[in-house]
Formats: sequence, structure tokens, C-alpha cells
Amino acid sequence: MAEKHKAAPMVDEISDFEVLEIAVRELAIEKGLFTAEDHQLWSEYMETVGPLPAARLVAKAWLDPEFKKLAVTDGVKASLEVGINWITDMPSHFGTPSDYCNLRVMEDTPTLKHVVVCTLCSCYPRPILGQSPEWYRTPNYRRRIVRWPRQVLSEFGLTLPEEVEVRVEDSNQKSRFIVLPVRPEGTEGWSEDQLAEIVTRDCLIGVAVPKPGKTATDKRPVHPAINPVDH
Amino acid sequence: MSKTHFDREHHVKKATDVGDPQCFKGEAGPAKFKVGDRVRVRDLPSLFYSRTMVYTRGAECTIAELVYESPPAEDEAWDNCDNPEWFYSVIFHQKDLWPEYPEAYADDTLETELSERWLEAV
Amino acid sequence: MTPERKKVMQHINIGCQLQPALHVPQHAPFPDLIDNAHFRAYTRAVHDVGGEPDVPIQWEEKEEEVWEHNTFITCEVLAWRGVWNAEERRRRQNVDVGQTQYLGLSYYGRWLLTAARILVDKQYITNSELSDKMHEVKKRYE
Repeated sequence: MAEKHKAAPMVDEISDFEVLEIAVRELAIEKGLFTAEDHQLWSEYMETVGPLPAARLVAKAWLDPEFKKLAVTDGVKASLEVGINWITDMPSHFGTPSDYCNLRVMEDTPTLKHVVVCTLCSCYPRPILGQSPEWYRTPNYRRRIVRWPRQVLSEFGLTLPEEVEVRVEDSNQKSRFIVLPVRPEGTEGWSEDQLAEIVTRDCLIGVAVPKPGKTATDKRPVHPAINPVDH
Repeated sequence: MSKTHFDREHHVKKATDVGDPQCFKGEAGPAKFKVGDRVRVRDLPSLFYSRTMVYTRGAECTIAELVYESPPAEDEAWDNCDNPEWFYSVIFHQKDLWPEYPEAYADDTLETELSERWLEAV
Repeated sequence: MTPERKKVMQHINIGCQLQPALHVPQHAPFPDLIDNAHFRAYTRAVHDVGGEPDVPIQWEEKEEEVWEHNTFITCEVLAWRGVWNAEERRRRQNVDVGQTQYLGLSYYGRWLLTAARILVDKQYITNSELSDKMHEVKKRYE
């Protein structure tokens, strides 16, 4: 059993959320809806997902115009080349229930900048990008980015000139999106690894653009958990 | 007591090794719209659920891509997969969505996916 | 931030919450008093927030709780094993919960409540079984 299941809250500190979570999981297992092994397997699958494959997809697209064409026409096929199979990587073998199997890679140009949101919930391309950040899930981001995109982007430190068309992708159905940003100046002759390093998660959502030397997402406050998952 | 039986196998049978929405390919019949068509979003009553955002209703947009076939979310939300339809990626001009959208950014756009029942020809 | 600046920011944050409000409490009014615009408002799909005005906030990341992680996994595994599909989950979790729980209960709080609810609604457990189990789990930690 994973530590995650055994992590027992301390006496006096158990919350009603923790009680309900345990109750639901145990009842589902008792009634034969799924097994403890199922839960463990899916948890292990989720530990494998993160933003690196999406960063490599972008780097590959920058280096190879043919691959870029594939990426923007068939995101699922292109994902295979960075080791991500949207259909069979996960225990279900029909994709993840929440993320489906239709990745769309949105190509930025010098006059077109994409940014992704799911105004209705928080749909996100987990198999190739990992779990969504907290701010992406907030009603605040979902309310404002579709109507005041340039204001919201400026809060993330990104200001775009009038000549650039800002296109908001509202990810409201079965497609999932990553942004393929414009390759920045100052990266001539770089290897795929070097290029992938500057494609951060925020660049793939569209709230940041890649810059030489910038290999990490901007630092933001991190709201602590009472009983955090160990990583 | 009376107990309902739910078929827990139907999706796994249909979609294993095929994927979703791939598993609905070919089921929607001919698409009503094509890339480049101008369409308007219908403001249908959507009493209990919809994934056609209210901010799009009544606005005009252009078909950018035919993306896939799938049951409409309004029905899939009750596990009804009987009537897949075509889903379209459509693009709006932001100035057509928001009355106060600045003229300086008149080129800005918004793209989203809508199923066929929600669109009518302009 | 110096203690003085902390006090200043606290004052601004509390001060802006003091606002006059004209509340119109509703206690099941006659239907002829409800126009179509208000019918639409009361029957709105609460998840549909795109375009609503809101103010700039500090964008934050968050550490995941063990229970949140487990809840996410439970919801996906329930769908893997055919108890529901993700769209059913979203409908229940993001709309059926209603306006108050939608904005009040926290993101994963709704996932969790919805997972409990699907088990009861599809008759895999009874509501009483859920109560008994929650009671029993609580007692383990006393």
C-alpha cells in the first residue's frame, strides 16, 4: 500500500474531508466497485505524468519543421514521439477518463499568442503536462482570462503589443491543449535538451513565453497543505 | 426494494485500445458545417447542464476545424451516448463577445469547441 | 514586510469588506413574482463563470493534501471501472452541487462529495451505510 493511503492524520487533527475520503474509498472497495490494487495502479500512473514530455514536444517542433506540422495536425500522434500514448499509457487503456485522447497543439506565431483556460471546470492535458496548477482551477482565472486576457496575462508578467492577436482557448469539451510558443531569440544552435529546459509549464499553458536562461516557472506563494502528499 | 442495474462495461468495451472520442468516429453522419462557415450560437434552453458557455450564446463565429464526433456533453452527462454529433472548433472576435473590449485589441479572438446542435447558419 | 506594513495591508483587506448591502432574502416567493431573467438566474449552470467580473488576486500554487490526491484517484478509478464517466462527474460536481457549495466547499471538497453521492445515487451503498462508515472512521481517530 502506498504511503499515501497509510498516512494517518494525527489524533485531533482529522478533518471531515479526510474522514469522508476514507469512507468513500473503503466502501467502494467493500462493494467491489474497484480494488485497492486499482487505486494503487492509477496512483502510480499519476506519479509518472509531468510537464517534461510537453516541453520536449515543443523543442522537437522547433528543431524539425516536419514534426511541427505533425504536432499541429495530430497532437496524439506527435505525443507518441515524446513517449506519451494518450490511449494506453494508463491502466484503463482507453485514455484517462477525465483527459480523453484528443491533444491539440496550438502554434503561436509572431502575430498570434494562445492562452488556455477551462472556464467550466479546469480541464487540463494531464497525460503530457501533469496536474494543473492551483491558480488555473480558480473561479477567478476562469472568469477573467476569457474577457480581460491582456490584463490577466500582465499579472503573470506577460505584456503583448497591439499587433499580436491574443487568442484564448476555452478548453470546454474533449480536446486538451498545449501551446507551442514562438522559439525565442538567442537559442540558435541549441540542442533539444537545452530548448526543452526553457519551455516551462506556464509557457505550455500560455501565461508565459520561453526565454533563454529561464528554466523554472515564476515563484509564487505556495499554500501549504495540512497533511501534504510526500513527493 | 427495487434496484437499478447499471452497465459498467459499455464504455470499456467500446473504447479500449481505441480511445475517446476516437470510439465515436463515423457515428455522427455527415457534418452540417464546414471550415470557413459563419455560424451563430443558438441560445437553447439548457436547464440542467450545458458545456456551451452562456457568454457564447447568440454570438457569431467561424468554423475553424471539424474536431471529432462525440455524444453531446448535455447527454453524456447522463451516460447517454446514443446520438453522437460533430464537434466544431469555432473562433469568435472578442469584440463580438464583450461590449467593452478595447478597440486597440480588435484582432483578439477566442476559440472553443461546440457541438452541432448548438450552431445555426448565419 | 515590516509589522507596520502588515497592519496597513490587514486594514485595507478588512476595510474593503465593510460595504453596505441591500439583501433581498427569498423564502419561496410566488412564481408570478419571478420574471424570466430571474428564472434563468436561479436555474443557471453554476460552473459557467466565464466573463463574470472579478478582481486581480495573488496567483498561488498549492501543496496537495493526501485526501485530495486520493479523491482524485478514486474519481478516476470509479470512471475506469464504469461506475460513471467524467462528464457525469462534472455535471454532478460542478452544477448539481448548487451555487453555495460550488463557491463554498473547495475544489476537491466537491470532487469528494460527488464521489460519495454517486455511490448512493446508483444504489451501490445506502445512505445509512455511508453514515455508519463515516461514523466508524471518525471513531478510529478518537
